[in-house]
Amino acid sequence: MHIGTIVTAGIENKAFTRSLEEHGYSLISVDDIDAVLNITVPFDIMLIRGELLKEINHAVLEHLYFVNNSTPVALLFTDTTSIPATLIKKLQNSSLDILYDFEIEHETIYQRIDRFFINAKLNDHLTTLQEKFLMQKSLEKEISLREQILNHEREVNANIIASITAGLIIFDINGSTIVANEPVKQVLKNVSTDIIGSSYKALLPQEMSELVENVMHEMNAEDTRPYVKKCKIADTYYEVYCYRMLNYHNQPNGILMLINDITEQESMNVLLYRSEKLATVGTMLSGIAHELRNPLAIISARIQRALTKKTYEPEWLKKSFTSIQTQASRCASIVNSLLNFTRNTATNAGYHKIAEILDETLTYVDYQNTFDNISVEKEYDKDLMAYGDRSRFVQIFLNLITNAADAMEGNGTLTIRTSLESPYSTRIEINDSGPGMSEKIRAKIFDPFFTTKEPGKGTGLGLAIVYKIVQESNGRIWCQSHPGDTSFFVELPSEKERSYDSKNIARR
Amino acid sequence: MTAKILLVDDEADFLDIMTEFIEDEGYAVKTATNGKEALHILEQDNFDLIVSDINMPGMKGFELLDKAAELYPSLKRVLITAYDVRDYINMAKNYNIGNIITKTAPFNFDEIRIFLNNILTGEIFGLGLYVQGRIHQTYLKKSKDLERVNHEVIEFMKSDYHKRKFRQALSEITINAFFYGAKNEEGDKKHLWEFETTLNDGEEVLVSWACDNEKSGVAVTDQKGRLKKEDILFWLERNMTKGEDGLSLGLRDSHGKGLFITRETIDRLIINIDHGKKTEVILINYEEGLYDGHRPLWIQEL
Repeated sequence: MHIGTIVTAGIENKAFTRSLEEHGYSLISVDDIDAVLNITVPFDIMLIRGELLKEINHAVLEHLYFVNNSTPVALLFTDTTSIPATLIKKLQNSSLDILYDFEIEHETIYQRIDRFFINAKLNDHLTTLQEKFLMQKSLEKEISLREQILNHEREVNANIIASITAGLIIFDINGSTIVANEPVKQVLKNVSTDIIGSSYKALLPQEMSELVENVMHEMNAEDTRPYVKKCKIADTYYEVYCYRMLNYHNQPNGILMLINDITEQESMNVLLYRSEKLATVGTMLSGIAHELRNPLAIISARIQRALTKKTYEPEWLKKSFTSIQTQASRCASIVNSLLNFTRNTATNAGYHKIAEILDETLTYVDYQNTFDNISVEKEYDKDLMAYGDRSRFVQIFLNLITNAADAMEGNGTLTIRTSLESPYSTRIEINDSGPGMSEKIRAKIFDPFFTTKEPGKGTGLGLAIVYKIVQESNGRIWCQSHPGDTSFFVELPSEKERSYDSKNIARR
Repeated sequence: MTAKILLVDDEADFLDIMTEFIEDEGYAVKTATNGKEALHILEQDNFDLIVSDINMPGMKGFELLDKAAELYPSLKRVLITAYDVRDYINMAKNYNIGNIITKTAPFNFDEIRIFLNNILTGEIFGLGLYVQGRIHQTYLKKSKDLERVNHEVIEFMKSDYHKRKFRQALSEITINAFFYGAKNEEGDKKHLWEFETTLNDGEEVLVSWACDNEKSGVAVTDQKGRLKKEDILFWLERNMTKGEDGLSLGLRDSHGKGLFITRETIDRLIINIDHGKKTEVILINYEEGLYDGHRPLWIQEL
């Protein structure tokens, strides 16, 4: 049985040391203090002959400390009469246990050594117990603290969810609802089953569930932008945002959906569109009135010539009638274009030849005196098509062409180019040779109410509306400007199916 | 010798009917559908007159006439448009163009016949060229006669419509002819004018009037010929240009408004000038609604 390790220094009493070994101690015996420096194994007690005490120096004390990993070591001295008081004081100040001035009476020393060990073990034990106790205490404390934090967080989250006026609904990766706030219940007021736990398919109106479906299909896509969609359910307009939710490891683990009621905003937009449309109609009307004069003059001239003739050659009559017929059809198509434009249908979508629309648009404006000194260069591809609402295209081009003419202050070259940008998009470029815009102005041109025109000349809504119309036509618009060379580019889908957002879903 | 006319318009159908008409009138016609082609044709042949549409793709009518005048100074020049001439007064002033005829519906062949004849022959004076009926005339010698003569002319008009139209226009034109034309008073010194005055022999203002079944006309002629096309265009443009306060610039001027107001009220304002000899201002008004809204610009200087 091993109780502990004792180092003896200068102890020559073999019977004593043997009896220590029999008692259960391992012994390391050295003859002098210097040899202590060679001990490299840890030990518990060191017995030193009193005479050697004066040889203990700082290096030795440090070594004792070092080999014992800073655990206190008891030093037992025999015959301490010759130890100077200063040294004893110094030893007492060290962190070592010092037992000195004892006779080497076997029993006494065993008892003292044993007591030392028991005390040490008990102390150890007590310390461990105390530490455990303290630890438990602090753990309990921490747990309660964490609980508090958790409760607080839970409360904050609940508050956030409750105070979002938009509908908020979260689905897990399988599409089952895990969170839904009050406003969602308003949106889903027709749903009779429990919302939590139900699948989005059972809950959401079709237009919204299509959106979730879209997100589900692209859970692992790199594009992290939310899906956005506008939908109308009964008389309410909603703008729906759909986000993928990711866990700490960046793995998709759910879908978060925000449902905004934008009915009010939408009705404002409708008004805004209507007023802008009315302004466009105004421009078109005066263009049309002008445009009708040409064919009407020709028809009238033909008829008057006929009325004053005395004899009619069949060939001449045929020519005259053909001309009258052509010019009358032209009048009709001019008037029809206005009717088409004013017809208030949002989904008048179809395939249109862009060149035709551009030509038509030009006739509405190029009679104006602002165009007198502007030469119009048409670099079109006659056959390029775009998919969308014709009247909206007219509105886009009318605004851009008018702006270009205004920018040139009635003097310069207006170049209109069209090109097939990809198999799915047609690009229209409207270029003017005006002075161009500064970067600062260019950054603001699509903002509502921003205008560089003199007061009374522009509402500043033109380009903001154009921007919205282009966006809603699933196209894009941008602008490049240098002095003498400013281009507005519009890209419109050339194919309905291929248009990324054929279901009116956009990503922002 | 047959006069040669070059007709330029991007409307092929219009070129066709006009060619037919002009040839029937006894002129020779060539046509072009744009400015570039027109200049090319002018290079190859001598023409007496070019009649060009204003709004054409590429080169516009004003530009074409400007280039043509530079190349062929003796070529007579007329513009034609289906649009409102008012929109082009500014350009007319800038290019010093006094002749713009209009494509009206009903189409006014008679007017075009008269205009073409006038510009090609130089025979521009006399109300009889424009109105068929018997011509009445009187000389204005004393300023106090102005009101009486105006009254007599208005009374002659056969309907209230014509009376109303001529009332203000006529008084503007006769006063102008009497004080600016004959007496050469300065417009900005109206307060110094002698309102009780008599013109010298040979300075009298001639007022003639007539009517036929579709129109009434009055001609007011002074014997000084001081008016200039350039000034007329300047005044017309000034009265059509709005200042910063939104009011026309001409409103501020002490004179020049009369011609503008007359052009706005009466269907046709025709001004013929023989510098230093005479200025003839002709007012023509058609039966109500006949040629509404289309007012050619017709100022000729010999």
